[in-house]
Amino acid sequence: MMNIFSPNTLHSTLAMWYTSRATGVVSLVLMSLVVIIGLMVNRQGRLPGMPGFVVLGLHRYLSLLSITFLAVHIATAVLDSFVNISVAASVIPFVSAYEPLWLGLGTVAFDLMIAIIITSLLRAHLGRLTWKAVHWLAYASWPLAVVHSVYSSKDMQRGALLGVALACIAAVLIAMVWRFARALAEIPRARRVPELMADPDLLARAGHR
Amino acid sequence: MSHRKQKTSSPEARNRGKKRLRVVAVSATAASLIAAGGIALELPGAHATTSQSSSSSSGSTGTSSGTSGSTGSSGASSSSGASSSSGGGGGTGSAQSSSGLQSPGSAPASSSGGGQVTTGGS
Repeated sequence: MMNIFSPNTLHSTLAMWYTSRATGVVSLVLMSLVVIIGLMVNRQGRLPGMPGFVVLGLHRYLSLLSITFLAVHIATAVLDSFVNISVAASVIPFVSAYEPLWLGLGTVAFDLMIAIIITSLLRAHLGRLTWKAVHWLAYASWPLAVVHSVYSSKDMQRGALLGVALACIAAVLIAMVWRFARALAEIPRARRVPELMADPDLLARAGHR
Repeated sequence: MSHRKQKTSSPEARNRGKKRLRVVAVSATAASLIAAGGIALELPGAHATTSQSSSSSSGSTGTSSGTSGSTGSSGASSSSGASSSSGGGGGTGSAQSSSGLQSPGSAPASSSGGGQVTTGGS
């Protein structure tokens, strides 16, 4: 049954290819969890029943776990001889010979994640606004990763993995709606429209204070 | 504006929180690893069969690999050449064509098993 990992068969050459695909799926799920936690954390940095530092720790840990799986995903894709993906294509978008568009979107998502992580590690040395501006890139990185996942491989276009992709999308959308509903609720109803008309960024700021 | 409550958690509460975080972290790591392994084994083509060209069962093998491999254009079938040389015949050949599993980048190492049919692809 597990012949793809058996050294006695030709399928052993496929192990990296399968590892790459599987770790990509897991990385997407973890990334979705990170985005959901990031969206659900309220002003005090808390989730119901969890202290702020636990939520923050969970957010960071899942981010690192996601990046670890992403690193394995990329490394195995590059090392694998099954398709030709160069090292350069793993960091430079749209230069891959294999599925240049869909892989390129994944590369952009990866680069954005790297930027988010580096600025988070250097947060103490950066201004809060700078850090936050870069951190908002997560909202661009995640959909790019989803599109990459779905279109660069047919794995997630059918069957159970399609369900996984749809569940990730639905969960993030629900968290997003919840977040904006909370942000709206924090503005008194009578002042809501005038304030939003006067300052369109109020909603975003209210949600991310 | 919001009224932030400055809560100072007790050391016991912090320890409880840290312990909970550790448990969640370990569980998430274990679950991720198990999920990755499970997905790798359940991916289309992971249970692809390997057939020898001399065996008479190559036709049925081709059929099954066609079914499993039909999920991937991005993946690659390692040995379309092998299938043609295997004499495994029409079954294998038709499976290859229906699966569309062609490696656009590089041909996989198929020299060791010219008569083997590999399905992969994503």
